[in-house]
Amino acid sequence: MSPTTLIKCTINGVELEVAQGKTIIQAMTENAQRIAHYCWHPGLSIAGVCRLCMVEIEGNPRVQIACNTMVTDGMKINNTSAKVKDAVKWGLDFHLINHPLDCPVCDQAGECGLQDQYMEYGKYDPEMAEPKQRKRKVVDLGPTVVLDSERCILCSRCVRFTNEVSKTNELGIFSRGDHSEIGTHDGKPLDNKYSLNTVDICPVGALTSKDFRFKQRVWYLKDADTICNGCSTGCNVKVYFNKEGVFRVKPRFNEEVNGYWMCDEGRDTYKVVNKEVRLLKGQKFANGQWLPEMHAGTAVKDAYQSLMKAAASEIAVVLTGQHTVEEYEAILSNFQNTFKTKNIFHWVNNPEIFEEFDGLLLRGDKNPNTKGLLQILEKNGIKNPWKNLEDGLKSGKITHLVVFGPENIPVFPDLTAKVNLFTTAKNLIYFTAVNIQQLRDYSGNNTVTKIPLKTYVEKEGTFINFKGLAQKFKRATTLVSEALTGVEAAQLIAGHEIKVVGHPDNSLLTPASTRKDQVTLEHRKKNEFLFTRGRL
Amino acid sequence: MSVVTKNNDNKWYLPGILIGLGITFKHLIKNLFNKKQMLTLNYPEEKYEYSSRFKGNHILTVKKDGAIRCTACMLCATNCPADCIKIIASEHPDAQVEKFPIAYEIDMLRCVFCGYCEEACPVDAIRLGPEWQTPGLNGSNFIYDINHLAYRPALKGGIQSVLDDQDRHKAGI
Repeated sequence: MSPTTLIKCTINGVELEVAQGKTIIQAMTENAQRIAHYCWHPGLSIAGVCRLCMVEIEGNPRVQIACNTMVTDGMKINNTSAKVKDAVKWGLDFHLINHPLDCPVCDQAGECGLQDQYMEYGKYDPEMAEPKQRKRKVVDLGPTVVLDSERCILCSRCVRFTNEVSKTNELGIFSRGDHSEIGTHDGKPLDNKYSLNTVDICPVGALTSKDFRFKQRVWYLKDADTICNGCSTGCNVKVYFNKEGVFRVKPRFNEEVNGYWMCDEGRDTYKVVNKEVRLLKGQKFANGQWLPEMHAGTAVKDAYQSLMKAAASEIAVVLTGQHTVEEYEAILSNFQNTFKTKNIFHWVNNPEIFEEFDGLLLRGDKNPNTKGLLQILEKNGIKNPWKNLEDGLKSGKITHLVVFGPENIPVFPDLTAKVNLFTTAKNLIYFTAVNIQQLRDYSGNNTVTKIPLKTYVEKEGTFINFKGLAQKFKRATTLVSEALTGVEAAQLIAGHEIKVVGHPDNSLLTPASTRKDQVTLEHRKKNEFLFTRGRL
Repeated sequence: MSVVTKNNDNKWYLPGILIGLGITFKHLIKNLFNKKQMLTLNYPEEKYEYSSRFKGNHILTVKKDGAIRCTACMLCATNCPADCIKIIASEHPDAQVEKFPIAYEIDMLRCVFCGYCEEACPVDAIRLGPEWQTPGLNGSNFIYDINHLAYRPALKGGIQSVLDDQDRHKAGI
């Protein structure tokens, strides 16, 4: 039988067709049937240690674990019978023998599988007479992760992750019986480029990220889907934000791109989108001093006036691989049509490591949309070597320079050098999301206009990743409402008006995303206003 | 819709006024000779003794060693209907405590004294105390911070929480 053969089975009274060779738990999660699972993770091997994914199979006298049982033809499975529920309830009681149940203090509360299960099946009065086994509380596993051994239910997901995915083998389970706990070997901390994935897959609050720890309770955060702008892999991610800003980034499953994982570097991309580091207002430097701050739109119109006076050959545009395809299209068409200039240059940040790849996700090209930019430049027949710009600036041929600067500035090691180069232009118009030190401290004879741009969480568009896969993403939130998207900026600088598009009426009321197997418990329904409203 | 017209045949107002004055006079006499049963107070000088369980201004309780009991779980802030509690959590140097608030602010002008924070608190860290007369001059600060909530002079060094970490650990919870 080929592996794609479909076989029939019945799960909870629903007849399903699943591929041959799938386990029961795969069949259930793929068909939106709720089943508790802690040790099983779709991206990892099967361990079968948590014993909570019990199902009853017709013809078998005992309940079995769904994660390690294959579906066979005509199998009748259910996990809602009294027998299964009883087994799960007692299984849970065993898990809670040493689990401290300090949900209020725990950072995982609100997104914890064990908490959900406890609230649903919980034997609120434990029957264990012995006191709980006390273990180490705040264990520093490495530069990114903190372990709380008490909360750990020894599902071994993180251990398997370091064995199978990151292949670094830092974590292991030490000691026996109820003394066993997760740990690292002496002198070998959990320090790899993917270490924070262990925090994501931890079903309880045992592993927490140092970066996010205690920053926010998760129920104050909303999540929205987007694409990571950290490198050209284009991992599908979720950003978690509230009105104060973005707090963390987590991976989202996409088989074609990133699977279930993302790198630690990509999780830091949220740090350059928050208000503290952003450029909030447009500002112009002229006649040796910074003029008062002005609205971004006013600043662009002002820039438009200055560009109108220039000849086509005097205008040059610099683009980075950090913007969306739509923005490139708008910029190129507007500059080519309005200003008739073909001086469009590609600012490549670190060409020497562009082809690097670590074998899992991380790529040397740290721009999400280099491919998209190259495709569009090629389509428009533009191929200007960087040297032309340098020569043009030196000889004074290029006097008006429009730069669409990068937003993820930590991956631009040449930022200072390049900005210093740009400021040699008579009239520099610098669009940037991040407030750049060199521009803030600028003093010279030239005119500099800096105009705020929106970041990737604040706009919608398309990124084309390293292998040519175009991925659309939507706006997640707005942090600097005055900032312009690249499309708006391109239209304004070419003298066009922009239309303001409002929200559809119900878009604020519907949650951004719902899982198919979302827990719908009575106690949650009571608090529904908190779940849908958030704190926004 | 109907319009009610009141036929007041009694055109004499004076008897009514006199009856009213009579009642006032009766109470004046009663209050003069029976001061204890008087219903009103000379407010700023005399104060009414409320029950000690009256739910007035908030108190943050402390542990035996005087440290703040709150674990910064933010359940009170979540439960607060007036959205007047603001907490910033931080890592505590003691691993057993783990998390504690470095800032805990209650905006008293927004607070509706519903007591939901007290109910939500899993560790008896916040209570509504009997203190209720806290007027302020124009421009005074009604956003109470940790120091005021836990250690204001009226609390005489802090109110001790009934549930201490050490007791909790001894009991194996």
